Amino acid sequence: MFQKIKHIYETKYKLLMIIPLLLLILSLVQIGAKYATTGDFVNKGISLKGGSTVTIPKDLSISPAELEESLQQQFPAADLSVRTLSSAGKTTGLAIDSGLQDSTEIDVLVDALSEQFALQKADYSVEVVGSSLGNNFFKQMLIALVFSFLLMGIMVIIYFRVFITSLMVILAAFCDIVITLAIFNLTGMKLHPAGIAAFLMLIGYSVDGEVVISSRLIKRNDGTELQRIYGALRTGWTMTQTTLVAVIVALIFVQSEIVKQIMLILLIGLLVDTVVTWIQNVGILRWHLEKKHSKN
Amino acid sequence: MNQKLKKLLVNWRILLLVTFLVLSLLAIKPQIFGTEGVEIHSLRSNSSLAEAGLAIPAKVQPTSRERILSVDGMETLTVEDYYSAVSQLGGNRTVQVETTKQTYTFMTPESADGNIDLGIKVKQASTSNLRMGLDLEGGTRVLLQPAGEISKEDLETTVDSLKERLNVYGLRDIVVRSASDLEGNDFILIEIAGVTEDEIQELLAKQGKFEAKIENQTVFLGGEKDITYVCRSADCSGIDPRFGCAPFEGGYHCRFAFQITLSPEAAQRHAEITKNLKTVSEAGSCYLSEDLALYLDDVEVDRLRVGCELKGSSTTDIQISGSGTGVTQADAVNDALKNMKKLQTVLLTGSLPVKLDIVKIDTISPSLGKEFLHNVMLVGALALVAVSGVVLYRYRKVVIIFPMVLVMLSELVLILGFAALAKWNLDLASIAGLIVVVGTGMNHFIVITDETLRKEAESLDWNSRIKNALFIIMGAYVINLGSLVPLFWAGAGLLKGFALTTIVGMSVGVLVARPAYAAIVKILLEE
Repeated sequence: MFQKIKHIYETKYKLLMIIPLLLLILSLVQIGAKYATTGDFVNKGISLKGGSTVTIPKDLSISPAELEESLQQQFPAADLSVRTLSSAGKTTGLAIDSGLQDSTEIDVLVDALSEQFALQKADYSVEVVGSSLGNNFFKQMLIALVFSFLLMGIMVIIYFRVFITSLMVILAAFCDIVITLAIFNLTGMKLHPAGIAAFLMLIGYSVDGEVVISSRLIKRNDGTELQRIYGALRTGWTMTQTTLVAVIVALIFVQSEIVKQIMLILLIGLLVDTVVTWIQNVGILRWHLEKKHSKN
Repeated sequence: MNQKLKKLLVNWRILLLVTFLVLSLLAIKPQIFGTEGVEIHSLRSNSSLAEAGLAIPAKVQPTSRERILSVDGMETLTVEDYYSAVSQLGGNRTVQVETTKQTYTFMTPESADGNIDLGIKVKQASTSNLRMGLDLEGGTRVLLQPAGEISKEDLETTVDSLKERLNVYGLRDIVVRSASDLEGNDFILIEIAGVTEDEIQELLAKQGKFEAKIENQTVFLGGEKDITYVCRSADCSGIDPRFGCAPFEGGYHCRFAFQITLSPEAAQRHAEITKNLKTVSEAGSCYLSEDLALYLDDVEVDRLRVGCELKGSSTTDIQISGSGTGVTQADAVNDALKNMKKLQTVLLTGSLPVKLDIVKIDTISPSLGKEFLHNVMLVGALALVAVSGVVLYRYRKVVIIFPMVLVMLSELVLILGFAALAKWNLDLASIAGLIVVVGTGMNHFIVITDETLRKEAESLDWNSRIKNALFIIMGAYVINLGSLVPLFWAGAGLLKGFALTTIVGMSVGVLVARPAYAAIVKILLEE
């Protein structure tokens, strides 16, 4: 079985590139459909959409569903939702997201909560974002991303002096982000600004792998092409493994919802990046080398 | 073995890393043996302690800040000690407060209910020079947007006056800076650690009221309506030539003075209020019986004597004076000029150039911040163990694990050292940056190890192997730099912490720490 897969991987690399391509197309369809139905690429969290989050780092001995229902009755117009915060499987507190932005409205909500659960001022924290910032923020992140890609591409060309690597690095970063975003959308989670930072962190991790493969395949001539590919993949897989275990450990033990979201995005992204690197990038580079050899 | 150790100790790459490590530790200055006393967190400007000479200088490294050692002979090791000592003081008596700098002697204010407030807030002494941002220490972050178009100069003036205003309240660790986004919108970002949302809203709502009163009647208010001109040039502002500086209570005392021009209406009010006052003679000079008291947001900041010649006068040109003190004459001059600038700013900016709207307020509760920090440290340690396990499984060489973990930890110390030196506030975004740096650092250690140990490289000499490894690392570094730079401006600078930490971390990693790891691997594994 393993030999068969290995054989297909080594000989049918062009055909295999359909897999990442298909993933990319499906992801673009998912994101497009999301945009067409909701007007947004992604489920925006309160910090991106505008609204507020009240965080209570205490176990309130009430189920989030019960609290949500009772709060929705009290504040029908507030678009309220209640999440539990947990760490290592243990509930550590509650977070109440709502569309409320006016401080007097939020005060009413906080007062109602304080009364119900006898909370002190130090027991909760409130985060408010105006929607104007939310909209701009998202648009700007996209602009920043376009600039990031351009600068990255220029750096690659300067460093490797081969156009195809530049294309490969940008395409890989693009695929990583788009496919990860589509999968993130499927989880139904709402995106926090720090989650955007996680998508940017993916670029950093994916670049490391891309540079290893490009250097080994283009700049070296020890061993056969396949030997160099396997060598690079071995290094790349070790890199992915170490990051994966760190991310999984963090995902299990970290309390902060924001850090948890960063880790989840990294986890999805790393798995996506493995497919993109092993199949798409290796494929592009082998294709490039094959053409170069046939010319010589 | 001995030879290898010797080689390790004289390798310049390793020595460079060690030097940077020592410098970082000096910058961080961890207080391993504990610190005495409680740190002064905020000081009210008209409090008894402020009048006794206590001041909070800005930009002092956390471990060098003044700490209170005892109150009236009672040791203050914890915040609770301090408040319990203060509660036992009672009103209207002489009290000594001993700090790390000096002992202050003053009278406690009168108190009807027996509760004494010395006008300061204290917190547990800092254990290192690292400044914890809001996410880690608790506090409030406010993003303000000017209503309407604003010039760069006006924006800077606004930032300056907000700083001055907030400093009047003696709060420490205030970040006020202008920020703009990619579309050119301007913002002002204020971060105050250890302050709640209510307090900061109060501060921002309050700011903007300067009053000068005689006998509790308002003579003039700060801002353009009453004050048409505030002199800030050397010919009509500076150290008062009539008094200059003089020795005073073991130090020096200097007086400053500057001219202001009142509007005719304000001058008329001055004439009305002063015309019925009595005159008194003091040390050969004639003064009015009532002082001109200056209030900033209802807090008295200074009290000036009014010369007899101004009685009933509707003059528009008046001179405002005040003083400063210091241990040396130069200190006293500086202090006087600083106080003068503060007063001038207040008079000038009775109203800020623009109206500011609050776009975003985040409040982080202190208990949440502390818990978060502990949790992150725990998770970091667990992740380190897990990653070490993977590396050990892959290479089966214990000798690689130790330098890898040590160099990785030293990368963290280098970044933190830089943060302490540059007086950054470490926040959530910086932590995300640290995660990237450590993650790519790990990737690069693996690249170095693989490039030197892989079979295909056996024919190469060690220097070429390391050159190959560093080529890859350098490439990844410059490409990552390209992707990070645009983040500096995105989202009104809210991701600046992330971009900055990542760039600095990757730079020290790639230029200092990772080459040192390559050198260690070479020395340890070279036959």
